[in-house]
Amino acid sequence: MRTYQSVVILKPDLDDTQVDQTHEKISQFIAKSGGEVVKTEKWGKKRLAYKVRKNRFGIYLNIYHTSDPAKMAGLENEYRLYDPIIKHLLVHLEKDEWDWAMGKAAAAEAAKAEGQAQDSGEAKKADADEAEEEAS
Amino acid sequence: MANQRKRSFFAQKICRFCVEKIDPILFYDVKILKPLISERGKIVPSRISGNCSTHQRKLTTAIKRARNIALLPFSVEH
Repeated sequence: MRTYQSVVILKPDLDDTQVDQTHEKISQFIAKSGGEVVKTEKWGKKRLAYKVRKNRFGIYLNIYHTSDPAKMAGLENEYRLYDPIIKHLLVHLEKDEWDWAMGKAAAAEAAKAEGQAQDSGEAKKADADEAEEEAS
Repeated sequence: MANQRKRSFFAQKICRFCVEKIDPILFYDVKILKPLISERGKIVPSRISGNCSTHQRKLTTAIKRARNIALLPFSVEH
């Protein structure tokens, strides 16, 4: 089992529920490739650097997941055939990169918990930091 | 000596990734990558930016991935 990161760009005209549906569908694809979704980040709607299938904007999803390396071609094919996805990028993460990505998640959660425990002013700051991270 | 004087005209050659200890150069971290591409969208060579070769190599991979997922342009349209 190897660790991967999938970044997919969805059509810009999907609303939140449709994005969630799409995410569920993608999870099914990943399950079919013998893995599971570990973490998902929604980057939201972003301006694309160039037109992709005549779209100027796109909704970004960043998915960390595991998969069977032998079934990667199948997974990519699913991405290509699934209509709401206009572009995807699938990269294999080395162990240190994976740990870093997961560690970042743990650190963010810890910061959030700390912020909630303390005064609201500090909590706000932590939230702002997190929002920045998500935006970047 | 002449060489030294000539050198002083250019910006100091320091690898910003070594100095700031940016460990994994993430392809989706556009804030870091953006200053390292030219106006036309080309990758700035290390002889200009001063990056060390290890980081320049990682940077190149990151920029190419970012281009692929439409975070950075392949070329700037006119």
